[in-house]
Amino acid sequence: MNKKTKSILLNILSIMALYLLITILIGTETMNNYISNILVTILITIIMTASLNVTTGLLGQLALGHAGFMAIGAYTSAIFTKTVALQFSLSLPISLVLGGLVAALFGMLIGIPALRLQGDYLAIITLGFGEIIRVIIENLEITGGAAGLTRITRMSRAFSEDRALSSVIQFSLVFWITVLIIASIFTLGRSRHGRAIISIRENVIAAEATGIPTTRYKLLAFTIAAFFAGIAGGLFAHQTSILNAKNFGFNKSIEYLVMVVLGGMGSITGSIIASIVLVALPEMLRGLAEYRLVIYSLLLIVMMLFRPSGLLGTREFSMLSFWESLERLWKRLFKRKDVPTRMPFQPRYDVWEDKPVLEVSKLGISFGGLRAADNVNLCLMNDEIVGLIGPNGAGKTTIFNMLTGVYVPTEGEICLLGKRMNGQQPHDITRDGIARTFQNIRLFKSMSVLDNIKVAFHSRMLYSTLSGILRDNACLSEERGIDIRARELLRVFQMEDVADVQASALPYGQQRKLEICRALASNPKVLLLDEPAAGMNPMETSELMQTIKTIRNRFSVAILLIEHDMKLVMGICERIYVLNYGKIIAEGTPEQIRNNPEVIAAYLGSVDAQPGEVRGTAHA
Amino acid sequence: MTLFLSQLINGLHVGIIYALIALGYTMVYGIVKLINFAHGDIIMIGAYTAVITLSTLGWSAPVALLAAIALCVLFGITIERIAYKPLRSSPRISSLITAIGVSMLLQNLALLIFGAASKPFPTVLNVPPLRFSGIQISFVTVLTIVVSVLLMALLQGFVKTSRAGKAMRAASEDYKTAQLMGINVNTTITLTFAIGCALAGIGSFLYCMAYPAVSPTMGSLPGLKAFIAAVLGGIGIIPGAMLGGVVMGIAESLTKAYISTQMSDAVVYGILIIVLLVKPTGLLGKITREKV
Repeated sequence: MNKKTKSILLNILSIMALYLLITILIGTETMNNYISNILVTILITIIMTASLNVTTGLLGQLALGHAGFMAIGAYTSAIFTKTVALQFSLSLPISLVLGGLVAALFGMLIGIPALRLQGDYLAIITLGFGEIIRVIIENLEITGGAAGLTRITRMSRAFSEDRALSSVIQFSLVFWITVLIIASIFTLGRSRHGRAIISIRENVIAAEATGIPTTRYKLLAFTIAAFFAGIAGGLFAHQTSILNAKNFGFNKSIEYLVMVVLGGMGSITGSIIASIVLVALPEMLRGLAEYRLVIYSLLLIVMMLFRPSGLLGTREFSMLSFWESLERLWKRLFKRKDVPTRMPFQPRYDVWEDKPVLEVSKLGISFGGLRAADNVNLCLMNDEIVGLIGPNGAGKTTIFNMLTGVYVPTEGEICLLGKRMNGQQPHDITRDGIARTFQNIRLFKSMSVLDNIKVAFHSRMLYSTLSGILRDNACLSEERGIDIRARELLRVFQMEDVADVQASALPYGQQRKLEICRALASNPKVLLLDEPAAGMNPMETSELMQTIKTIRNRFSVAILLIEHDMKLVMGICERIYVLNYGKIIAEGTPEQIRNNPEVIAAYLGSVDAQPGEVRGTAHA
Repeated sequence: MTLFLSQLINGLHVGIIYALIALGYTMVYGIVKLINFAHGDIIMIGAYTAVITLSTLGWSAPVALLAAIALCVLFGITIERIAYKPLRSSPRISSLITAIGVSMLLQNLALLIFGAASKPFPTVLNVPPLRFSGIQISFVTVLTIVVSVLLMALLQGFVKTSRAGKAMRAASEDYKTAQLMGINVNTTITLTFAIGCALAGIGSFLYCMAYPAVSPTMGSLPGLKAFIAAVLGGIGIIPGAMLGGVVMGIAESLTKAYISTQMSDAVVYGILIIVLLVKPTGLLGKITREKV
């Protein structure tokens, strides 16, 4: 049996077994109403924490107003079932979806302004929105004002005359909704959209430069989280039958956040475990009612002190690896054969005529009064390796930043294959064919090497968010394709053996190579390398020179590189531009540049001993 | 007009207390980049100390105030050493959660020891209100404003001119570099917590004189509002916290007088949101861009 089907089968079997066990216990009234109610609370909490984990864990944005979305869902759904005269078993599902949609709408409306902020500020603004939602609900007539909304139909009574049967139906409904939501969060997380969201958590700027429209994905994650919270709210309303806005305040949001963090941010299974423990624990400690919250808060502090990344970190608990470790225990001699992967994938290289691939004319930018670049003209021919050198602060990286859309130039024009690029978003520019590396390495540190590369395929992939959730053929075939392409790329760089290593664990030189590799994955026509040899020893540098040549030949890209190591620049560049104080002061072949008096004065320094010989590093 | 003026003065009264508490948030955030959620509960500790020393032990008000300050500082420093210091290099959210944990722990310990019922705060000052052409200002208001303004001036002077103040400013710019320049960052952080908590101690005393009821959860609402005041003014910036506190207090009091009592919280949060969207780093904050 294939590993994947085995894993799916195991998960389905254990979920079914759990479901059957609990329904039998409730149906035979072995489990009383009180316990079955706690189980439903646990399930609703799981939806809340797992959805909050989409924003906080996967997207990496701290949100302190999640209970606000739950409130919106709860009130929408309760008002719907109270006012619309439909059979309950019909009106409930409609109301749940409606609650989710209204919450998602609010999530989007709040997200559009709020997601412009980052970190603590985003946390504070979501706190503000959450509290405003609560205060407004408290003051509206339709929501029952400060007294709250009462006499909402209870799920545990409404489905059937028989209390036990009704409880079973309630549990089944909530259980399967929870399973569905968790499964879709999982499948989403493993699709290109999920990868896009996680890459934002790791490094926003690198994500943009790799072709991820970050604003859109932030909003998507935020909206999805709000949608699920809305559904959880609807379930909650029909579980308790009484709603009071006070129950959805700041403290509630914090409670969910605590569960997410304790379980491990980014780990959905961690959220599930934390929800179960943290809802059940206080109930079990009821005998010690007085000390309950003291113990609870002590637990929280101790947990953070000794395991700050939470129970599971960003890892997931997997039934398969659990099963496998059991298997290993039983049969130590059991050996698995590796399943060979051999799926063909045609790399797509565009061919273009013999005219400049990249043409920059009269480019300029000012920061306040500073002219960081002025009247810069440069061009890159097909498959050319061109150097951009100059003293520190000359504006080299600024030019890269303008080429990739990080800065918008004040004047001038950037043309890629005749298409004007000025003013485009970084991710659009990447899609059109300019990829870059960074001076200070910006990898998605906690992702694996392979996933770092896979993120860069984002703009070259087509399947939709829905396909990603459903994991249909469109998704699987594309994923299979990029898996092969990514491994191929790694092989070119002799890095296939570290594919599954976390990026931050790589040695420095390999991290630099991985960045180049990631840039190439977006299939660019122009590759910008910002000091690729920085921090490398002479041996690594000469290896890098070879690699850059190989890249040019193999991937047919034009390369523009910034570098201070003159041996590298003079050794591989066919043409060189020299930049000083934002202006190009010279252009030509390495030989011409080396003998240009202006360049020598501004940058290279005089070479006394043997004219023509190159010094190791120009500005040492 | 008289209503407006007296509401303005009321707002100033509450606002300046928010500002005192907000200073603790802002100074701590400036250095360790931690939203110290337990800071609000330090107020509660100060208030209980004051109530017990005043009512049960029958101490005089100045001694009770000193006791409140001392206990607040003691708690603040202990919390920092035990709960925050070990987490200084871990992800910021971990220390945030720890702060929330500490806040819950303090509240529930108080609940366990003192019970949920609120204790009355005794009248400390019995001075008749002052009158200015029809406006009546209670003596407590005047005292609060005068004391707070004095304290803020002192603090500003301390941070700007003293050796320790310079160390604090250096540490908040870049604490790793400050360390390399021979500044003992641990002492500096302890000092920051101590000053913040001392101000919270005084703030709690002033707060109780205005709202004389002491309960285990009394600190969370003024704490939250003071925190928002700090963000409003630009978190990490000391004059910002003062400005933010006063703006919050006045906005709150005017909303209560002219719009509705229930909506005053919504207005406060609304102002916060608008300020953050227009000027994401707060009223006095500077925008920094990440270098690519």
